[in-house]
Amino acid sequence: MKLQNSFILREYLRPQNLPTTWCPGCGLGAIMSAIVQAVHFRGVDRRDVAMVSGIGCTGRMSGYVDFNTLHTTHGRAPAFATGLKLARPEMTVLVVMGDGDSMSIGGNHLIHAMRRNIGLKAIVVNNAVYGLTGGQASPTTPVGGRTTTSEPGAFERPMSLETLARAAGAQFYARSSVAHVASLVKLIERSLATPGFSMVEVVSNCHVLYGRMNGLGDAAQMTHAMDASMRRTNPLLAKRAALPLRLDAGGVGHPAASVQDAAIHRDTRLERGVIFERAPVADLSARYRAPRYEREEQ
Amino acid sequence: MDIVARGVYEIRLYRGLCKACGLCVAWCPQQVLQNDAEMYPVAAHADRCVNCKACERHCPDFAIEVVPPHPDSEIADVERLIHAR
Repeated sequence: MKLQNSFILREYLRPQNLPTTWCPGCGLGAIMSAIVQAVHFRGVDRRDVAMVSGIGCTGRMSGYVDFNTLHTTHGRAPAFATGLKLARPEMTVLVVMGDGDSMSIGGNHLIHAMRRNIGLKAIVVNNAVYGLTGGQASPTTPVGGRTTTSEPGAFERPMSLETLARAAGAQFYARSSVAHVASLVKLIERSLATPGFSMVEVVSNCHVLYGRMNGLGDAAQMTHAMDASMRRTNPLLAKRAALPLRLDAGGVGHPAASVQDAAIHRDTRLERGVIFERAPVADLSARYRAPRYEREEQ
Repeated sequence: MDIVARGVYEIRLYRGLCKACGLCVAWCPQQVLQNDAEMYPVAAHADRCVNCKACERHCPDFAIEVVPPHPDSEIADVERLIHAR
């Protein structure tokens, strides 16, 4: 089942703002379409949906959808969304973030939003690079991935959002990619049905900055590669990253360390689908408001 | 089992939204679409279309649409929607 594109345009988007400012072939458009369809099939009125976004390419999404939208500061979208959800508990609050936005700049806010387990629906678009600012390395750049700030290939271990969500106490976690758009709609629908904090990580393509520097081809080739496996490292460049690190090589008293020595070079394939789902826990959002109501009664 | 009909689907391309990224051409399983000289898609073999909507799903710009003979919803005038400021 797929909604007609003209129906999406008329009912759920702001067509006067289109075409989008995203690069041709960027997966964000397909993700926006999937979010809108999930909201439609879930049967939620668009006036009861709020979309909160931060800064970055993903942050621009709130300008195109015709929900209640909030375009906030860099990384602070979960903080704004927590406040909104406490003020309007009946509202479906979608938080749209990129990987740099959610994990490095807003990592603290994301962790505590997950710890409080208030019913936010986070959608993290993971394209392994800071797209808007010119292709800097992000927390999820895989080992060997070339970016403008890691020219010889990144050697740092990429961050696992899945492990973070599990540890911080999120209730639902799913992963899909822009090549699997139909499953993405279903996963977002399931996350909308979850009462607590739910997160859907979407592996997206940045073929303009990340793909070009890593020889991954154009948008079509990059999304086709995701179809087979969600690996995003060019094997040739990963081999180059396994060479001794430039800072250590040849230094006096410092043995040459390599990525392989540090045992952090591993398969970057990610599994797809619902990763974990926890039983519902007590909704604490009423507790946050309780003292104020008591004061009003006195 | 559904009967797969061919040649009854209309493929609409909205030039005002299209950015010529080539995703619809790459994902079409029936090779319905082809690139023209400017890399915009054209429905060269519309008779092969089976209404799988892979192009619609993968289009990031909502610029392509497969219209069945009896659509569930009314098909909006997209060009007019874009220019209504």
